[in-house]
Amino acid sequence: MAIYALRKLAFFLGAVFVASLAIFILIRAAGGNVAAIVLGKDATAEAINALAHAYGLDQPLPVQYFNWITNMLQGDLGQSFRTKESVADLVTARLSVSVPLALSGLLLGLIIAIPVGTYAARNVGKPSGAVLALISQIGIAVPVFWAGILLSVLFGVKLGWLPTGGWVDWRESPIGAIRSLVLPVLSLGLIMAAVLIRYVRSAVLDVMNQDYVRTARAVGMTRTQALLSVGLRNAALPIVTIVGLQIAELIGGTVIIEMVFSLPGLSRMILANVAAREVIVVQSTVMLIIIFVIFVNFVVDLLYGVLDPRVRNAA
Amino acid sequence: MNTTTAPTVTPRRRRRLELNASLVVGVVLTIGFLVIAIVSFFWLPSNPNIPNIKNRMLPPGTVDHWLGTDGLGRDIIAQLMVGARTSILVGAGGATISLILGTIAGLVAAAYGKIADETISRGADIMLSIPGMVTALVLAATMGSGALTTIFALTAFFTPSFTRVIRSAAMSVLQEDFITSAKLYGRGKLFILARHVIPNIAGVMIVQFTLYFAAGILTEAGLSYLGVGVTRPSISWGMMLNEAQQTVGISSPLAMWPGLAIVIVVLGLNLLGDGLRDVLDPKLKRRS
Repeated sequence: MAIYALRKLAFFLGAVFVASLAIFILIRAAGGNVAAIVLGKDATAEAINALAHAYGLDQPLPVQYFNWITNMLQGDLGQSFRTKESVADLVTARLSVSVPLALSGLLLGLIIAIPVGTYAARNVGKPSGAVLALISQIGIAVPVFWAGILLSVLFGVKLGWLPTGGWVDWRESPIGAIRSLVLPVLSLGLIMAAVLIRYVRSAVLDVMNQDYVRTARAVGMTRTQALLSVGLRNAALPIVTIVGLQIAELIGGTVIIEMVFSLPGLSRMILANVAAREVIVVQSTVMLIIIFVIFVNFVVDLLYGVLDPRVRNAA
Repeated sequence: MNTTTAPTVTPRRRRRLELNASLVVGVVLTIGFLVIAIVSFFWLPSNPNIPNIKNRMLPPGTVDHWLGTDGLGRDIIAQLMVGARTSILVGAGGATISLILGTIAGLVAAAYGKIADETISRGADIMLSIPGMVTALVLAATMGSGALTTIFALTAFFTPSFTRVIRSAAMSVLQEDFITSAKLYGRGKLFILARHVIPNIAGVMIVQFTLYFAAGILTEAGLSYLGVGVTRPSISWGMMLNEAQQTVGISSPLAMWPGLAIVIVVLGLNLLGDGLRDVLDPKLKRRS
């Protein structure tokens, strides 16, 4: 297990390194003169040089990369050119919106997908299974922002039960905050569920054909008992993996949903800074998100190794 | 639930019928989509980019503007037709480039030894763990938004998945007996890949292409909705939804049509992909 964990740790560090290099090259090499972009067309050459010097942008790119990484490791993520706010503050202020949204969306997706996917697998070839497969197909085809628009037309405009957008801070009114999150979470969760149902269904289908389920049936368990006692535990492994892979999708969905419901989350902050050409803010925030996703996948891999000896021995 | 099954129809038979239905519906929807996009090059009800203030906000059902007009008086059908073109350009463009790059990388990983395989597979794993939507935002910040940036972003997220699928399909072909006999006959690696492996994984390639075409359309719509995808004079369904939400509010029918178009087209392509998988790739049938 120790060797398996070390291998995964090495992969985690390697992935973070490669990703940081990719982000840096994409932003710096493709972006041109950062200081000139930030200051706009009318800036004088002296002003551009002064800004470039103040932020170390006049140094060679490898030095800039090294400085960025060492500063990040010390917890300094840089600051905005215009407002001078630190990236760390900008990010933490938005987490109270984005984190509950993404986590509840994922949770709702799983709560729907696990029972429905299992039911669909048990009813393959029957009309009920086919109907569920079709519903999940349609759900996959619905763009998450359109789901958001439809839900807010129904529950916000027509029924008037919930706000169609906007945000009430947790400190101001926790109930208000929850009310502004209900429709976004529902949109995200339903679309996640549509995708996850297919994976759960195929994972359970695989397990149902395994010898150990047949053995459990042979010793007298019903199909449901066999599925619950040995089947679901084994189907959990591929489902855990899929959840790890879906984290990237989940973040993409959260980005869009925050726009639909004008929530002041992380992605609106990134978009605003993309528009304002705040290179440092975008670079560091994106890097944080990527580190988070890679870290989740690292934890998923470790869990997988703990749960299933075959995996860690094969690796 | 009442599930009385006619004694002659076994569950297996039923399953086959259902699968063929998915292929048929998929083919019909996809052909309709392609035809509309092709027609848009030769004929449009009116120019979708020129505002016409006296015709603004016409309701659906108006003569000459069957789905109505938007807040600037531009015809909705004309915009939807040009939007179909953009979906194909960006979706199919991204899927095609990723298919080519992914096939090359996947074949190299499968056939050229452990070091090549480890490098390519781990590289693909790393790229898969980077959220695509976030990468697209970064690209839009540096390269500027537009159809080309969107295709580039799609290529960046789809290539690693293609690589994985092609690699594993190629590996299973490479273990077949006829490959061994081709090697014993003295055939080189490139010849074996081109002559034996590619034809045998063509089914997988076609299926994956269809599914990523659909995923590309969804992603493009999302990016254009965020305002970092295609921009006018190109028209995208995602952009139409964004404009509808900004100008006339979400409860207008203007926010319905582009969404419906996306759902129908993506559903059609996904059904086509699933249907094709069952025809072209019988081994995967049970899992689909």
